[in-house]
Amino acid sequence: MGLLSWMRSKKLLVVGAALMVGVSLLSGCGKGDKKTANTDTLYIGMANAPEFFNPILHPGIAGKFAVRFMYDTLLGQPEPNKFVPKLADSFETKDNQNFTVKLNPKAKWTDGKPITADDVAFTLNLIANPKVENSKRSYIKMLEGVDANGKLAEGVKTISGVVVKDAHTITFKTKTPIDPNYVKGFLGFEIYIVPKHVWEKIDPANVTSSEAATKPSVTSGPFKFVTYKTNDHVEYAANDDYYLGKPKLKKIFIRIMNGTNLVTELKSGGIQMVAGGGIGIVPVKDLAMLQQDKNLYVKAAPAFIGQYLDVNNSNPEFNVKFRQAVTTAINRQQIVDQLYKGAARLVPTIYVPASSVYDKTVTPLPYDTEKAKKLLAESGFDTSKEIVLNVPLGNVLREQSADLIQQDLKAIGLNVKQEKVDFPTLLAKARKGDYQMILIGYGLLVDPDYSNYFVPGGSNNYAHTNDPKVTDMMLKAATMTNPDERKAAYSEIQKYMKEQQFITSLYSPDFIIAQSKNLKGGIKEFWDGSLVDLHEWSLESK
Amino acid sequence: MGVYVLRRLVISIPVLFLISVGAFILVHLTPGDPADMYITPDMTQADIELTRISLGLDKSWVIQYFEWIKNFFSGNLGFSFTNRQPVGEIIMQRLNPTLILMGVSLVVAYLSAIPLGIISALKKNSVLDRFIIGWTFFNVSFPPFFLGLALIYVLAVQLGLFPTGGMVRLGQENDIASRIMHLTLPVIVMASQFSANMIRYVRASVLDVLEQNYIRTAVSKGLTEWQILFSHVFRNSLIPIVTVIGTDLPKIIGGAVITEQIFQWPGIGSLTVAAINSRDYPILMTIVILSAIAVLCANLLVDVLYAVIDPRIRYEK
Repeated sequence: MGLLSWMRSKKLLVVGAALMVGVSLLSGCGKGDKKTANTDTLYIGMANAPEFFNPILHPGIAGKFAVRFMYDTLLGQPEPNKFVPKLADSFETKDNQNFTVKLNPKAKWTDGKPITADDVAFTLNLIANPKVENSKRSYIKMLEGVDANGKLAEGVKTISGVVVKDAHTITFKTKTPIDPNYVKGFLGFEIYIVPKHVWEKIDPANVTSSEAATKPSVTSGPFKFVTYKTNDHVEYAANDDYYLGKPKLKKIFIRIMNGTNLVTELKSGGIQMVAGGGIGIVPVKDLAMLQQDKNLYVKAAPAFIGQYLDVNNSNPEFNVKFRQAVTTAINRQQIVDQLYKGAARLVPTIYVPASSVYDKTVTPLPYDTEKAKKLLAESGFDTSKEIVLNVPLGNVLREQSADLIQQDLKAIGLNVKQEKVDFPTLLAKARKGDYQMILIGYGLLVDPDYSNYFVPGGSNNYAHTNDPKVTDMMLKAATMTNPDERKAAYSEIQKYMKEQQFITSLYSPDFIIAQSKNLKGGIKEFWDGSLVDLHEWSLESK
Repeated sequence: MGVYVLRRLVISIPVLFLISVGAFILVHLTPGDPADMYITPDMTQADIELTRISLGLDKSWVIQYFEWIKNFFSGNLGFSFTNRQPVGEIIMQRLNPTLILMGVSLVVAYLSAIPLGIISALKKNSVLDRFIIGWTFFNVSFPPFFLGLALIYVLAVQLGLFPTGGMVRLGQENDIASRIMHLTLPVIVMASQFSANMIRYVRASVLDVLEQNYIRTAVSKGLTEWQILFSHVFRNSLIPIVTVIGTDLPKIIGGAVITEQIFQWPGIGSLTVAAINSRDYPILMTIVILSAIAVLCANLLVDVLYAVIDPRIRYEK
């Protein structure tokens, strides 16, 4: 009797056995995975991969976030312009030009060596060294002794405005008197201090590829680097000797995954929180589902992110009237309501509601097709010409918004054609000014100095704006001493920007805080300050 | 035979060289500059220029290519542009998960597809045959991303039987049960694709053989069903099956881009997508060369297997 005929005769038996094996496999292993949840280990989901673990160069927000687990700054910032001690016990000034910083004498590196004023001075000199690849120079450009870009002159080794007084005291002198919050926000909150005794051995030209920058072993923060599996996960272990107190969690994993997976992993318990900000974006369509989950805490918060339509300012045909016509023609409220289901805000300029200088009295240009038509006629633009709108791939909602925008612009007589390109291509076009219109998102700084976006030669001036008045206003406001005066100056800037429409501000999407309710700690509404109390985060058993 | 294999290997060298030149040109022709990925709101133009120099992008293409090939032959695959880790290290980290996923998927696929294909052919036009063929149609036309998402939604999110993604619960790398659970869903997705294709080839090939005169002779000689199946039918149906295996094998390296993305499988497929999106030239070049080597090796293996299976096939020296 052949196998086939045997199986035929015992059909029921075979099917039954197969089913039993299947069911026992499923149930047995399912349990195995559930019991692994413990309260020592936190799993965080993040949408972008950190590039390096380099405290002085992090091109993306993800890298900056990943570094803050391991490196401390002089100050923490739980809320905008509210500073708390980290490595620095005090950060004071009497004249807004000379700052005295006293370090916490208990602070030490993970190898047991104390963190001293020499480490701070070394870090600042390293950043100012023109040979060192880093993204921190704009944070030190206010110091006396560096040029307008934050660089030391050739052959000069140290910044004259930085003086070590004793092992735990250091003074900073700025070029001119300046708003203390500006100095605290930049020198205090953005500069991670590096260990001199490790970093001084590295050739300045090769810092980025060094072990210290890719696999740090000597750090100052509440957690230590364990391993990074490229684009998959980062593993940290608690720094039990942390000077502000032993961390309550023992291990943290940051898992890198896309937005949809963030949602499924949150719901299945594979992660206990999303990184939020610009690097843990939960798809808007899944928001309602998360909100219904009683194990999760979900909240939308204003973010330092904006989506814009840039019209190439270097093209003389795209004059003020034309730019005003474009903004007025686009129904931005419809994009916010229909695509973002309300989880975004209309903004009149590049400044977003999360910013401390955001002026509520400056309202967005109203949507008005008739007025837009009139403005377009006044601009003298030849509407028979085709305009190409370059749309970057990757952000589905932005791609969908392009269709709405195209329709709105057609309604006032503009012949707009969409061309979709991947993000690096878009960036190359934007940098060269080789485009007419683009959609682009900006991740914005907390400090309102956005001169890089509007000043000729600025690294993010993708709209190729060259307007002497705004240049002058921005450069002046950046260095103002008095906080109130500075805020007033930025109000004026916002009014001028609303009138000029160098870029069309479409909306500022909220970021979503989503985390398990048994996590004490987690992402804060002021996202940048989220990790300030990381050592106190804990997971309670359900 | 040995000479034949050797000659094929020698011919592969210029082929690989041409592939590397082609890949290099294509990768560099793609619009976008890897240094642009470094721009932050707080960077100056000079900072970006420093990055270009540090990545070697300030040199001409020809010099960049020769430096790359010189390093390649000395075993140095360079540094990733995005994270400055050695490319060799990153690829090795990624290769293992992909080999596991694809290897297991292929084995599962073939172990199920070959018997099913034979049964389907033996029972031609029966209800069972129609069911199997219907099943293959379903799998071939069902997009893997959808099957993957459906499995995640039902079995992982709703029923909680399987993890939603990843290769292992982090922190418990030695837990074999957890590894198997993580492997199950992506293997189902991959294997259903591979097996559907294979079943159809096996069925057609077996049907073809069943109509040959020597089968009729074997039946009339009074051989048992089993003897006919193994000594005559299966062996003679192998040629098309080996061809299919030959086209499947290189995919082991290339990985399953979509499935890896959906299941957050840390393999080569998802690395490739990330490298393209960030214009990470050194990673892309290495993946292209690896895939090319895999294709060349698989082709050679298939040709050798032909001769082993069918003694009538001989290669001239």
